Amino acid sequence: MRRRPGIGGLQTAAAARDQYRLLGENVAKIRTDLMKEQLATFRSQLEDFARKHKNDIRKNPAFRSQFHEMCAKVGVDPLASNKGFWAELLGIGDFYYEIGVQIVEICLAMRAQNGGLINLQELCSLLRQKRKGLREAVSEDDCLRAISKLKVLGSGFEVISVGKKKLVRSVPTELNKDHNEIIELAQAQGFVTVDELERRLSWTSGRAIDALETLLEEGFAMIDDGHRDGRRRYWFPCVSSISSLGGNDA
Amino acid sequence: MQTLGNFKLPPFFNYPPYFTLQPVRDTREKQVQLWKELILDYCKTQKISVIGLEEEFPLFSNPAIESKDLFINLCISAGSLTHEAREAFLAALVSEGRAEWLDKGHRKCLILWHRIQDWADILLNFVKDNGLEDSVMTVEEIRSGPESRGTDLQGVDRIILMRALKLLEHKGKLAIFKGTSADDEGIKFSR
Repeated sequence: MRRRPGIGGLQTAAAARDQYRLLGENVAKIRTDLMKEQLATFRSQLEDFARKHKNDIRKNPAFRSQFHEMCAKVGVDPLASNKGFWAELLGIGDFYYEIGVQIVEICLAMRAQNGGLINLQELCSLLRQKRKGLREAVSEDDCLRAISKLKVLGSGFEVISVGKKKLVRSVPTELNKDHNEIIELAQAQGFVTVDELERRLSWTSGRAIDALETLLEEGFAMIDDGHRDGRRRYWFPCVSSISSLGGNDA
Repeated sequence: MQTLGNFKLPPFFNYPPYFTLQPVRDTREKQVQLWKELILDYCKTQKISVIGLEEEFPLFSNPAIESKDLFINLCISAGSLTHEAREAFLAALVSEGRAEWLDKGHRKCLILWHRIQDWADILLNFVKDNGLEDSVMTVEEIRSGPESRGTDLQGVDRIILMRALKLLEHKGKLAIFKGTSADDEGIKFSR
């Protein structure tokens, strides 16, 4: 554009700036539109997928888990709200809500026996027993998702890893490092002795007894004095499946 | 599932710490509750009415727990309730009216898997179902006669039966009198 002096020139320059600005906005808009379109495509493809495989998602825990991963990759959370497309299409918002409620019931019922600490495997098995006869099978993955929803509701549920096991804690009491080490050791035989802690962890007996007494007070451990060697055993229900002990189980 | 004869044992029976009286209050409460239920259930299905604390009672020890221990150490008493524990569980039953001590030393305990009042009701139904109003029967006939077959009254412990009968006598539902033989009493049911 030719620069022209005088007021006319200024007006032209202003007009030119306006046009550039409009063009710039257009470009930005085009980019955004493109992105939105891409996302919309992703979303609709995901919805198509979900619609087509609704039954599989409902019935098959492994498939369901993979579906969740796929959603996460695209930034979609089917559980984000109980209303809306996903909840209606899959009804899985209700599914996890239902599991969550059942998990709370189970943990409450078992609390007197395990202090509020239960291993994920046992929890899942109790959940399956509770849901016997219902169409939808549940996996440990489902349990974890339901529990993470519970956490969001501020219910004090926490999943912790101790040694090889995942434990679900339904009471506010937190375990410190010493406690964790004890519970990890207990996974071998279901119990520990003060001797064992002194030997294997090189603790003083004071330290061992302190930690064990706390775990006992909290209801996470039970004592067993039935041995002629006089050594008290501290058993940890959270590392066993105490609800299904048969004649030959540890 | 481990069984004692044909009785299915609950899972806690295989968890060693349940055989030691727990010091922590909440844990102890749960332990006592589980043992109370087990004792009542077992006695009811096996029709046992008296437990002697110093005698062998299958519920009070779990040999499966013991034998596992033989490989670890040579202890024998691993899965056996101490006298103190037995007394604690039975005392809990006594305090809720589901058992009674038969002696001051707490060595024998009468188990009321039906309360005496419940036994009285069962007797009243027994009278009604068999049209026994205004008739006479001996105590022994009540517990071992054909009418009691298949009911809870069959083989019922005499002590319990007499208690229930006395309760009903007190309410005027029947009269107890000495029978022809030295050791058997007769019952006349009211109309």
